[in-house]
Amino acid sequence: MIRRRFSILWSGLLTLVLGFTVLWTLFPIYWMLSTSLKENLDVFKLPPDLWPLHPTLINYFNLSNGITPIWTFFINSVITSLGTVVIAVALATFAGYALSRLRFRFRKSILIGVLVTQMFPLVVLLIPLYLFYVRSHLLNTYFGLILAYTSFTLPFGIWMIKGFVDTVPVEIEEAAMVDGCTRLQAMRQIVFPLIIPGVVATAVFAFLDAWNNLLFPLTLVNDVTMKTLPPGMILAFGGEFKHDWGGMMAASTIVTIPVIIGFVLIQRYLVEGLTGGAVKG
Amino acid sequence: MYKQNWRAFLVASNLDRVKKAGRAGYQPGASPKIAAMLIAPSLVVMGVIILYPLLNSLWLSLFNYQLTRPDAFAFTLTQNYLRVIHDDTFWIAFKNTTVFTFFTVVISLVLGLIMALAIDQLPKRFTSLRGIILVPWVIPGIVVGYLFMYMFDVEVGIFNYVLQKLHVIQQFLPWLMNGDLAMIAIIVAHVWNQAPFYMLMFTAGLKAIPEDVKEAAYVEGASRWQEFWHVTMPHLKGILVITSLLMVIRNFNNFPIIFTMTGGGPVYTTTTSVIYIYRLAFEQYDMGYASAVGIIWVIVLLILSIFYVRALQKDF
Repeated sequence: MIRRRFSILWSGLLTLVLGFTVLWTLFPIYWMLSTSLKENLDVFKLPPDLWPLHPTLINYFNLSNGITPIWTFFINSVITSLGTVVIAVALATFAGYALSRLRFRFRKSILIGVLVTQMFPLVVLLIPLYLFYVRSHLLNTYFGLILAYTSFTLPFGIWMIKGFVDTVPVEIEEAAMVDGCTRLQAMRQIVFPLIIPGVVATAVFAFLDAWNNLLFPLTLVNDVTMKTLPPGMILAFGGEFKHDWGGMMAASTIVTIPVIIGFVLIQRYLVEGLTGGAVKG
Repeated sequence: MYKQNWRAFLVASNLDRVKKAGRAGYQPGASPKIAAMLIAPSLVVMGVIILYPLLNSLWLSLFNYQLTRPDAFAFTLTQNYLRVIHDDTFWIAFKNTTVFTFFTVVISLVLGLIMALAIDQLPKRFTSLRGIILVPWVIPGIVVGYLFMYMFDVEVGIFNYVLQKLHVIQQFLPWLMNGDLAMIAIIVAHVWNQAPFYMLMFTAGLKAIPEDVKEAAYVEGASRWQEFWHVTMPHLKGILVITSLLMVIRNFNNFPIIFTMTGGGPVYTTTTSVIYIYRLAFEQYDMGYASAVGIIWVIVLLILSIFYVRALQKDF
């Protein structure tokens, strides 16, 4: 490919833009980590220390020993997020396959319908859902939360999986069926193994989406021991501990770590998948 | 919810697949029975968790239904909707939502484009930078909210410190305690969170520009600016339209960042539609009226999504 020659001015501008971008992107994350490792006295110091001069894990220990059961929240988050992943991915795999491969009535309407559900403000669904949960005793249950999370992970998953099945050539499947496979066998033995990376990516997305959600657990859970991390943080830092910045940043770090791990797992896939082939029309 | 944004990726990753959806992938003689069997479970779940609540919300919006006052329960038909007209807070929330959405989308769009263009100029071995820049996009909304609340704090916030050092401001500003400043602060936080997504989308668009077109422009002696304006931008137009529409819809519905940073305050200066509905429903327990306000937003967003689906079908 051709490359223009870089003039000094142009290189300078480029460096400036990239430098600003990296600083703007990474500084807040660094600041979160750095603050979480500072003693309380240092957090309130002006001018602030750029890095913790007396690094300590005290904020993390305080979270564990404090009045807010952060590890209970953590476990609740893990259970509900994983539960959501299992249900959403299982259902979405079947539906996504059918929408990609089979011809039937209302196929297009269902596809558009599923897409449009992504546009609703979740808060509108939440009011009837809350009343329904009160009546059917689903408040404060894992199942209730998982079901609620499905309202955004399932439509998303269906479209993702459908997209991945679309990329598998029909001919492979036809060949298998000519050789005597039933459709379901072809789906299980031929298509499914080929879309496993896509299924994994969908699962990670669903996990992160459930993990990050604040609105649903905030309203559908009022028992402290059933809260997930986001409403747990509101509980911990909403009132008198509002200015416990060190503790707050430590909790933020704990919430963020699984997300970063998930991101690293799918990152290559995300960037290259999207920039590589996806949008080339 | 975001991160709202994961769902945005679905469309992003499927742009060209959407295009082929109408043509490819069918097999003659496929059994509708199998299709029904595969799809039914999903449809049942979505019926329970999406369609039923939506219709129920529509129904509730016709009632005076306050959880704290069971005696006042009554069918009122349009009264909730008429109440909206005279509800000042509704219109404030409307204005705030528009301001918030407009500025977050426009600023993120421009920043994302600049980032995408800059990284595109780099030799291949530096492109892992793209992965690093994407990180804010996956940070949970609640963390973004608290992190920026800390950084915008009047006493210990790093923003005040840096701005003062740079002589931009004379004394520390109470960012989250002043209406206009609070709006700026949540917009900054949200842009930090979202601009990488635009960067990703634009990068995808840049990759799709054929090399020979760029080469031709170069050989013909086009300046960088001309190349950008006449070659690059036309190719990015489709993505620009789709991404902005999608993000307009997404940002209308943002909850965690605003809720944690300001809770909609001071007074109502950062109350957006979602925050307002949340407060009506879960702090005042005015379920009927909250539903009516919600339904109005659904209608607005449905109109927007018609444009979105159209743009999607036209361009891809």
